[in-house]
Amino acid sequence: MNSLLLLLAVALLSASQVLQKVGASRRLAGTTKPAQWIAALFSPELLAAIACIVAGTALWLAVLYRMDVSRAFPFLSLTTVVVMAASRWYLREPVTLHRWAGVALIVAGIALVAST
Amino acid sequence: MTTRGARWIGAAALTASIVLSALGQLAMKNGMRHLHLAGAAEIAWPITSPAVRAAIFWTVLGLAAYGTSLLTWLAVLVRYRLSYAYPLLALSYVLVYVGATHWPQLLEPATPARTLGTLLILAGVALASLTGERADR
Repeated sequence: MNSLLLLLAVALLSASQVLQKVGASRRLAGTTKPAQWIAALFSPELLAAIACIVAGTALWLAVLYRMDVSRAFPFLSLTTVVVMAASRWYLREPVTLHRWAGVALIVAGIALVAST
Repeated sequence: MTTRGARWIGAAALTASIVLSALGQLAMKNGMRHLHLAGAAEIAWPITSPAVRAAIFWTVLGLAAYGTSLLTWLAVLVRYRLSYAYPLLALSYVLVYVGATHWPQLLEPATPARTLGTLLILAGVALASLTGERADR
């Protein structure tokens, strides 16, 4: 139950990151006026990002109800792994070996925290 | 970079995102802890139970901090690549760990495995973020 809630929260929060980046690049970059920022917040990309984050946060509160935050929070860094993969293959950002090595360390750290 | 404002704005937005997301997590956890303490019988309308009131207070405070961090995060995303900026957010794991184990309201147990795991994550974040290549956009 806990791990299912955690995985669903990670999936929704990762999707939100990618949608936020797409929205920031397409709608926010180059804007100067507050009215333009507000219009950008209501673009499909950022509305979807907000929906994902609201649902992900609701699930996250259910996780916090059941687990220590010092134990649960490191699991959220699974989001880093998903976001890094999405940055590379969906957003086509260059990701170096260094960064993948960093991701491997993060996964090792999560595994260690998970084992307690 | 130069077209998107001074460099310090990006750094300030990044710092605010990291600190606010950690404070938000700690406050939300404290809200859920109070809800746990309240038990099912006290969760009723109108809200009279002090534990339920505390739960709502801390959860709303946590959500507000978290919501503000999302806005500062958008200011970060306009300026940096996602693959550079996102790993830096994990600095908040360390803040959450120290806060959860030292804040008198929570006092979660610090175990060697959790401490080492959190440090490994921090090392991974440093490796993933600080590679000296172009980070903007």
